[in-house]
Amino acid sequence: MEELKRFLIFSFCSEPETLGNLQWLSCYLTTIKHSELYKSVFVVLLLLAITAPVSLMFGFGGAMAARSRIWVINGFGRLYIAIVRGVPDIAFFMFFVIALDQALEWLRHHTLCPDWSDAIWQGNDFVVCPEAKMPLSAASQWVHNSYSFALAILTFSIVFGAFAANVLFGAMRAVPGAQIETADAYGMTRRQTFWRIIVPQMWVYALPGLSNLWMILIKATPLLFLLGIEDIVYWARELGGSKTAKFTSYPHGDLRMWYFLALLVFYLAFTRISEIVLDRLMARLTFGQAITGGDSQRAGKT
Amino acid sequence: MSNTDLVISISDLHKSYGQLDVLKGVTLNAKRGEVVSLIGSSGSGKSTLLRCANLLETPQQGDIVFKGEPVAWKGAGEARRPADTSQVLRIRTNLSMVFQQFNLWSHMTILQNVMEAPHSVLGRPKEDVKMAALAYLEKVGITEKADSYPAHLSGGQQQRAAIARALCMEPEALLFDEPTSALDPELEQEVIQVIKSLAKEGRTMLIVTHDMRLAWDVSDHVVFLNKGLIEEEGAPDDVFGHPKSERLQQFLKSTLAA
Ligand SMILES: Nc1ncnc2c1ncn2[C@@H]1O[C@H](COP(=O)(O)OP(=O)(O)OP(=O)(O)O)[C@@H](O)[C@H]1O
Ligand SMILES: [Mg+2]
Repeated sequence: MEELKRFLIFSFCSEPETLGNLQWLSCYLTTIKHSELYKSVFVVLLLLAITAPVSLMFGFGGAMAARSRIWVINGFGRLYIAIVRGVPDIAFFMFFVIALDQALEWLRHHTLCPDWSDAIWQGNDFVVCPEAKMPLSAASQWVHNSYSFALAILTFSIVFGAFAANVLFGAMRAVPGAQIETADAYGMTRRQTFWRIIVPQMWVYALPGLSNLWMILIKATPLLFLLGIEDIVYWARELGGSKTAKFTSYPHGDLRMWYFLALLVFYLAFTRISEIVLDRLMARLTFGQAITGGDSQRAGKT
Repeated sequence: MSNTDLVISISDLHKSYGQLDVLKGVTLNAKRGEVVSLIGSSGSGKSTLLRCANLLETPQQGDIVFKGEPVAWKGAGEARRPADTSQVLRIRTNLSMVFQQFNLWSHMTILQNVMEAPHSVLGRPKEDVKMAALAYLEKVGITEKADSYPAHLSGGQQQRAAIARALCMEPEALLFDEPTSALDPELEQEVIQVIKSLAKEGRTMLIVTHDMRLAWDVSDHVVFLNKGLIEEEGAPDDVFGHPKSERLQQFLKSTLAA
């Protein structure tokens, strides 16, 4: 039975039926199947670690675009913010991933198989030549996983980038007018004012909104399964369900409640740690730039 | 008097916000080394005039000449704009503004505030700017606050820092918009002392103020603005000692009573 293989070798695990509770548990929690659960925790953390900075960059770009005086760029920025804000996350996730996937395959189809005569759309089916498949059918499991993971990161980043763009756009406008006018009065160009005054000052106004987004992002990670990635929640349900001796050497009743309890603790601990870190960051940012000072300057604009 | 002796020359300036005519034809000159004070009741257009001088506001009509160089305009009426951005920047860097609410950049220390524009706008080397900045901070008496943030300074200290920031631009003239109005009476004096010492040095200054004592003491020329027009102007002894127009007499009576 495959489950007998384990990623940690405990010699006593060869006959689980005879073991005491603690040893049984240590054997049970180190089966190959459980290693999938741990891997999915890692996948979630990796997703967060990549998505957060990338969405921040997208958000910054979006906010800058929405401020642009060139109307094409301005329109693009505002559209980006509006579309993603107005469409439910789930719909966007499903739509975007399929659309992107098919767009890539469509492009590859036209460059790689120019002689292909069959229609791409056959009824509701989307059929491209085998060479255009993303990834190739023959590709290893590893490539398939990486591809869907990359798509997931891109989708999360675009969605959360739009939220971040909205927050940053607001934060840029929250910088007191008097601060900007003073930069004008001292001869700074628009660009200098943006980089030297607005960007350094906006964080104080952006951080509460960004913290909020970070929490939402953490909580949104189970959406990964929509993108075909087996995430923590998937494995918790899979492993927790009751098992009879017929299928496993570790028969047990319905343990899902315990699995989900563990998940709950994981997510709660994670958000709590984030809160503490973000509070510290806020305290540091506000140290010099006391918002009260900014407010009195804004109020005093003549 | 040659043209270049005039640092700022404003003639027949009109400025309105929509229906509201704020300036209705104002002519004003500041010679090199001259201190000109602008007085007048609230809403008479003093700040607007000052802000037009360094092009923070665009007048719909009238000319502004900086050191013999007229500001180039394009468009007319509401659509009028300065035509030459580099000229605008050149004029702004030569007319340093001191604001009523100090407006120090809140994310920078005092020293960084003073060094910012000379370094990033004028492109002067950092080391030189730092030496100059420290010298100006000493001049206004807040060397020990160089590394503090604005929010941790008293109003008087902030305003003196703002004056150091203006001086560090090595401008042709300083523009003050009610520099003492936001300060408690005790703190007012420390700023007034600094302004007086600058006047003695022979700096060109345009000062909008509610402080008649200050205007009398430091000015070479006093301008009384009323409802967007100059009602009366002259040497401080004449304007304050022998006001001719009824409005100025009323204005002085009301401000002295206050
Ligand atoms: N940006 C603006 N938009 C519309 N109206 C304005 C604007 N700035 C000033 N005003 C109006 O122009 C008039 C003159 O304003 P200004 O600030 O020049 O007066 P002031 O003489 O400086 O008054 P104070 O002594 O109160 O500072 C006021 O009626 C004011 O409401
Ligand atoms: Mg004013």
